[in-house]
Amino acid sequence: MLLGLALSSVALMSHAADDQGARETVERVARLFSSKSSIATVKMQISNEDGQRDISMKIWSLGEKVLVRITSPQDEAGTAILKVGSDIWYYLPKSNRTVNVPASMAMTSWMGSDFTIDDLVKETFLTRDYSISTFFVGKRGGVAVEEYTLTPKPEAAVVWGKIILQIRKADAVPTWQGFYDEDGQLVRELTFSEYKRMGGRLIPTRLVMRAADKAGAQTTIEYEDIAFDVPISPGTFSLPDLK
Amino acid sequence: MSGRLLQLAWRNLWRNPRRTFITMAAIAFGYTMLLFVACLMAGLRWQMIQNGTCLIMSQIQVHAPGYYPSRSIKKTLGGRQGTDVSAMLAAVTSDRRVYAAAPRVYGYGLLSAAHRSAGVELMGVVPDQEPKITILNGQIAKGSYLNARMPKGVVIGDKLASTIGIDVGSEIVLLTQAADGSMGNDVYTVAGIFHSGLDAVDRGLVLMALSSLQDLLHLAPARIHEVGIKLNDITAATTVAAGLQVQLDKTLPVQAMAWPELAPELASYVQFNHAITFVLFFIFFLLAVLGIMNTMLMAVFERTRELGMLMALGMRPVQVIVLILTEAAGLAVASLVVGGALGVPVLWYLQEHGLDLGGATGGVISLAGVVVGHLWYGRQDFPAYGEAAVGLAATALVSALYPAWRAAHFQPTEAIRKV
Repeated sequence: MLLGLALSSVALMSHAADDQGARETVERVARLFSSKSSIATVKMQISNEDGQRDISMKIWSLGEKVLVRITSPQDEAGTAILKVGSDIWYYLPKSNRTVNVPASMAMTSWMGSDFTIDDLVKETFLTRDYSISTFFVGKRGGVAVEEYTLTPKPEAAVVWGKIILQIRKADAVPTWQGFYDEDGQLVRELTFSEYKRMGGRLIPTRLVMRAADKAGAQTTIEYEDIAFDVPISPGTFSLPDLK
Repeated sequence: MSGRLLQLAWRNLWRNPRRTFITMAAIAFGYTMLLFVACLMAGLRWQMIQNGTCLIMSQIQVHAPGYYPSRSIKKTLGGRQGTDVSAMLAAVTSDRRVYAAAPRVYGYGLLSAAHRSAGVELMGVVPDQEPKITILNGQIAKGSYLNARMPKGVVIGDKLASTIGIDVGSEIVLLTQAADGSMGNDVYTVAGIFHSGLDAVDRGLVLMALSSLQDLLHLAPARIHEVGIKLNDITAATTVAAGLQVQLDKTLPVQAMAWPELAPELASYVQFNHAITFVLFFIFFLLAVLGIMNTMLMAVFERTRELGMLMALGMRPVQVIVLILTEAAGLAVASLVVGGALGVPVLWYLQEHGLDLGGATGGVISLAGVVVGHLWYGRQDFPAYGEAAVGLAATALVSALYPAWRAAHFQPTEAIRKV
């Protein structure tokens, strides 16, 4: 999920090879966003050389099930994406059809944004899939931060060569996350800001994604509302109800 | 060279007709073989180029600069405003070397039916223009080609149809990322199923009406990605592309590319074919050299006594060499005429009927990403025939040179005594 993109993951067993302190910090940050269920209202703003597009959506999650439904603009409203297990489905109101999206397409851009379909609906398990070590502790731009290097474990099915996660020391909220390829080149970066108390937790409500190879283009996600651990009927995630 | 020497050479050739005929047969047969090889190899090159370009690609493509090869759907001809498509087609076809031109739009998407889907390449064409430059409309195995009465009809490959489990009349959904980033999607009906023989095409291409694809991709009618061009003479492709580049660039920035640039693997296959032809020629030359050398050596050594006599009568060594070379040249020319005459029916047959490889391979053959078909047609390659003739004649002369040189150094007294 969008927040999960960065940090979701419930506490998983730690790894002896890891930098123990670093692992605990990352896990504490991850736990900040973990929940049994959530309902979020999100605004996505895509800007590139063609101009700017705004998309509003509502996101439901329950365990590993995720449902995203577009509420505006008008001609896209009703479009939904459902992830159950490893299957991803699209509901297309214009065609009135439900389409199974193959895994190969999950890495393509979502609605022309800098986020992929996977970013939107797939959970990432930072502490399960990555070895964590401390990269930097000190001040960046006058703010005390800690930076951690996350290197994928050999058996983990992840696309990144490494991830660098920057956390604000004072309140342990994420501030920046860089995604690197196997050659150590920065592929894209995610910047967190607008920390607000929402759903009983202090979370960054504004996420900006920039791809390194697309200068001038960026996608902003703003959380307008999020509720954690709210009861959601499992029927919400059924295929027939996608319409 | 004196007339008498010519006369002498002529008489010598007829003094032992059997020997002359054997030598002639060696050269003539060698020449016929070379004609055969050259004709088949030229035919293969021609078929590769024709079939490789006429199925989908066309011979010249005009794009916006930077469109090829990444094929970003936003990079349409004339940029975001597009261009006057019919004016552009008119500009292209005003070149007399152009046979026809047609506009195209491309996209990538997901084809979905029932519970199965597959990633596909979408190609939008104008149903009554595209068949003038490519032949996919002739490969329909089931149903029909695109037509104006069915704007939401699509034509797909047979392998895609069987993978997804759809048939003519089935409804499918196409989902794509449109030019504005939104999810373009719509329902279409399978109008026809083609079989091209190329796996990648039969498995991954969806052909649809240009305007339907523009709708799906949220592209205005003036926005197209490509103008495909067929020429009257394909061998002029690179020249015509360069000319169109200059001409069209005056009105809007374009990139005109001929097939060797568009299909480098095809172009390198043609290079490879030339190399193979050269190697085969070389082998046949070697065989011809052995045959000719053998008969020439025999012919000269047999005549040691006779040549010794001539020299005893006052013929100078250089005259002996000229005599033998003259004989060899006459022999070569006569042989080439005979070999060419033998070759004519063979070449005609290869051109008209082709070699049927179906028996050996049991069907369609594809090579370097091109369907060749089971009939291997020959094509006349006159420059190669000329080279082969010159090469063989030279071979005959060179083969005669050594025995001639030997003969010229005979001591007349010894030579006469030799039996």
